[in-house]
Amino acid sequence: MAMTASAPPAVAAAPARNPGPSWGYRFLCACDAVLPEVVFRPLRALGTWVALANMPAQRAHSRAYLKAVTGRDPTWREVFRHFFAFEEFLMLRLRVAHGQAHRGDLAPDATGFRELLASGEPALLGTFHVGHSDLTGFLLGPQEGRRVFMVRQRVDNSHDTEVLGARFGDWVTFIWVNDPGNLLFALKDALAAGGSVALKCDRLEFSAKTEAFEFLGARRLFPFTIYHLALIFQVPVVLSLGLPTRPGHSAVISSPLFRPDAAGKAANLARARGHFQEFLARLEGHLRDDPRLWFNFTPLNPPVP
Amino acid sequence: MSDSLNARLKQLIVTTLKLEDVTPEQLADDEPLIGSGLNLDSIDALELVVTLEKEFGIKISSSEESRQALASIAHLAEFIRARADPSRLPG
Repeated sequence: MAMTASAPPAVAAAPARNPGPSWGYRFLCACDAVLPEVVFRPLRALGTWVALANMPAQRAHSRAYLKAVTGRDPTWREVFRHFFAFEEFLMLRLRVAHGQAHRGDLAPDATGFRELLASGEPALLGTFHVGHSDLTGFLLGPQEGRRVFMVRQRVDNSHDTEVLGARFGDWVTFIWVNDPGNLLFALKDALAAGGSVALKCDRLEFSAKTEAFEFLGARRLFPFTIYHLALIFQVPVVLSLGLPTRPGHSAVISSPLFRPDAAGKAANLARARGHFQEFLARLEGHLRDDPRLWFNFTPLNPPVP
Repeated sequence: MSDSLNARLKQLIVTTLKLEDVTPEQLADDEPLIGSGLNLDSIDALELVVTLEKEFGIKISSSEESRQALASIAHLAEFIRARADPSRLPG
């Protein structure tokens, strides 16, 4: 199977979900090419205020999330900083897509990732809309020689993903979920071809299996499909986050490897629940340290009784 | 051969999907496998597809093909018989 960035399929794009119009990323790139950062950054901050004022739904979701993390109503400044952190990450993605150097450095306790890189075996890579996580899949290729299939929802403003795909096309193949009927078969083919598949594990859309976990003060539903896939295809799961550190670098934090064993489905799934819950607790710790990290401008994962 | 293949498929479905309170004998040949009382979802269907591919050496490559194959036990048996090496079918 060719491991190149796939052309977007002929399916209708979902409505834009990320803050910003469909032409926004191209506009940012054009400005970035001509404006010095000392001028451009304040302009981006101003643009973020405009976005904040014009996106009541995303603003409400941001407030709900920040309230869940901090236990109090967030200030306007905190909501702005949440939006601006996302804008700054999008800017970083665009710059990396256009050639800016960036490295993902494995954290000392990223044992699962280390083990996986050492073994070279295909795996399911679970990640989250947190910090620089989205970049780590792209960096795996050139840094570690790993080919990755990334599951993505095609939205109207996917320009950043497309240009990243163009830069890292030798290493990354997108699996667009806009055709959810065939998503699982696309994953099956990717794993059968010996590829590793990156899946987001924090949003419920397109997730066939969900389970409730303790997170931000409640038992909340999360996608759990990744572990079922691990059992079906007998491949390991590693969960990871990319967190910003110094300029040009991200720290890659990972769970230990979850490896299906011969204990049977029920026992494996019970172990998987513990694996996921443990990593969610780590994620929650990072979010409590810096709530801006989770780019959650959609409804918070619903609590269950 | 038809009866033995159907029986083998029923056995595989029950054991692969760990169906509780269902025995192979309770599955009717014309009972829809997806969207029926078995309450199977897309992951269950994928798990079944992977098992069938290993067991019979066939390839099911899309959700549309799987929907057709998994329409019922009878459909599945027909699908497998048309694609599998006869030596892999129960006698």
